[in-house]
Amino acid sequence: MHHANHYYGHSHVLARYCGLDDTDPPRLHGYLQHGWNIGDGLAPDHEYTPGVPSFLWSERTRRRAWSLGRRQGYVVGAPFAYLLAMDPLSDSDQREGTIWYPFHGWEGQHVVGDHDALMAEIRRTEDGPVTVCLYWQEYRSAKLVRQYESAGFRVICHGYRGGWWKDLDPGFLYRQLAELRKHKRVASNRLCSAIFYGALAGCEPAVYGDPMHLENEKAAFGGHPRILREWASLHGPHPDPVAAARAAVDELGADRLLPPAELRRLLGWPMPSSVPDAELTGVLTR
Amino acid sequence: MIQLIGGEMTVWSDLDGTHGPAPAGDPTLRPLLAGATGRVLVAGPHAPELLDAIPSDQVTLLVRGIPDAEALASRPGVTVCCGSLEKLTGLPAYDTVIALDGLDRLRSAEADDASWDETLTQLLALLSPQGRLLLRLENLFGLDRLVALPPAPADTEWVTPDDETRPTGPDAMRARLAAAGVPVVRDYAAYPGALLGGAVLADPALRGFLEATLVAAAEPAHLITGALRHNLADDLAPAWIFLAGPGATGPEALIAAGEVRRDAGGRWVRGDDRPVPLGRTLEGLLLAACGRRAQPELRELLTAWQRSPAAGVPAAQVLVDADGRFHPLAPAGAAVEALRRLAATMVDGGYAYLWPSPADEASLTALLAGMTGRELDPRDVPTVSRSGRETVRELTIARDRLAGELAEARAQHEFYERQIASRDHELKRVRQLNAVLSATAPGKAAHTLVRGVRAVVRRTRG
Repeated sequence: MHHANHYYGHSHVLARYCGLDDTDPPRLHGYLQHGWNIGDGLAPDHEYTPGVPSFLWSERTRRRAWSLGRRQGYVVGAPFAYLLAMDPLSDSDQREGTIWYPFHGWEGQHVVGDHDALMAEIRRTEDGPVTVCLYWQEYRSAKLVRQYESAGFRVICHGYRGGWWKDLDPGFLYRQLAELRKHKRVASNRLCSAIFYGALAGCEPAVYGDPMHLENEKAAFGGHPRILREWASLHGPHPDPVAAARAAVDELGADRLLPPAELRRLLGWPMPSSVPDAELTGVLTR
Repeated sequence: MIQLIGGEMTVWSDLDGTHGPAPAGDPTLRPLLAGATGRVLVAGPHAPELLDAIPSDQVTLLVRGIPDAEALASRPGVTVCCGSLEKLTGLPAYDTVIALDGLDRLRSAEADDASWDETLTQLLALLSPQGRLLLRLENLFGLDRLVALPPAPADTEWVTPDDETRPTGPDAMRARLAAAGVPVVRDYAAYPGALLGGAVLADPALRGFLEATLVAAAEPAHLITGALRHNLADDLAPAWIFLAGPGATGPEALIAAGEVRRDAGGRWVRGDDRPVPLGRTLEGLLLAACGRRAQPELRELLTAWQRSPAAGVPAAQVLVDADGRFHPLAPAGAAVEALRRLAATMVDGGYAYLWPSPADEASLTALLAGMTGRELDPRDVPTVSRSGRETVRELTIARDRLAGELAEARAQHEFYERQIASRDHELKRVRQLNAVLSATAPGKAAHTLVRGVRAVVRRTRG
């Protein structure tokens, strides 16, 4: 229905959860929220077709969308939460150091800010090894990668987001989860999806440092200042991890995940060829 | 024996229900008639099965139509008076007068007009000073009438049975009968299949049980549940029934399963001494969860229900007690039918907007099944007969929903058209590119290679 449904391998994760071929997920009948946001759940330039539902991460987002006139919202939770439900955390996860996500722009956007100053602040704050995860655009800049590496950071990239059904990267979320599970802390200079993902994946979150800004950044739905006001308790080098984990559960809808049968029905997906629970119910004859 | 008392109607039956409503015949009334003693007058049309409950052998029946009189005359020990009420005078007074059809069908088409109060006076004149009166009063503002279209007048309504002297509620009726020296000892809110006394209606713990009991036989369900919640179930009852005059006060309530009363310990019990389950109906809880958008709670309740022995019992007939235990009040059918009934209630109740469209009954049933983890194709959902009347309300809801779905389908159609156009364009571009590439030397080489590989594959398969 919309190319953004396949960003970060989101539809691939949901297809696996639904028992379907996750190498080639079926068309998803609706718009899938693809990142944490403070608006109606979808991108500010999203074009809606009447009657096409939005599958949102959290009840809070749904209420906000409803208040903005977007009535066709249905809370399904974030694909990342489904991934974690399929590969739950374990006590044997070896965690060390911090994974740091510098604020990045998306395709065609550029971040303006002082990376050197940011690196210095990270060094001052973090006492363990630091992995810096760059968006693919920044990762392609050998200069920037060198800059971070020479500061003693390990530099990684989770992969392409994909777009317009090209460069799809079904492994994106898997790589992200694997990295998060290796770290004790997750940090960024802006509150973003990665911080909530990290908090849900058992990391202590932190948001500090120059938030930088995008060229021609538009403050939709109150922008960064509103994030600072509304989610103040998640900011700082050491926010309360328990409260942060609770916020992550809320914002990612991790307590509202759907059973596969319901999710398949909503997304307009077929039943897998073998569904044990279908046979148990006796409802189906085939 | 038939006595033609005057005013009788030669071609008329109140018993066959073709000229007006069916005669009084709700089986829940039987225990009231079983208390009739002495000389008994049954005034107005009453179903023969009800008459069977009267233990007395001195029964006089007053009917208007000769065919009805003839049908009843064969009953042993019964005197049938055929004609109009005002002609029934000069007889020794009766110990019990039963008028459970009300006062509107006691006077024939031949009689002069009389007000409701005059008719009551004539009836009371037939009752002995220490006699018992069982009387029904139709509520002209009953909840069954609130959403109904004005009915076409029936044959029996040669005049509309309404005038200013008719009591408008139980208080006025009690005052009128007390003034006549026949004080009311018990009155009931009369719903189809249930007679509810004041103590039963006043106990909030019984609300769920009463909801389930009433919606099983009466409608519209949303008004019944609303009236119970807002303590209006007596004021908005379709009718009231009064027990007046000295004697036993009668049961607290009567339902299809028998009497509802308090036992020695103060618990509400049913006729067979089984305690009345207390709690809310599952349907009420589900709809409340819908309103709060508490999807996890909705999934939890639906799943617990569908995994319980009550899975096939309609949600409106399942009580959930304080410990979360389910108490079915109706026999179980197929689980998927119970889900479909719930879907119908949600669609009719205007809850369909909670799910992505199309949220018709079958699709919603499949989705509700999905919420319990069960795979169900909408095409496999059986149709179930609609339990209630379709009122203008339901039709309007359905029309608005379908109009909305049509508008959305058109918009989506346009979207898909644009998508196809852009994909066509893309396809054309790729084909052109392909043609150009095939004409180049590497393109030709690749083509030859592919042909060679295909040939090998064919040979290997062969």
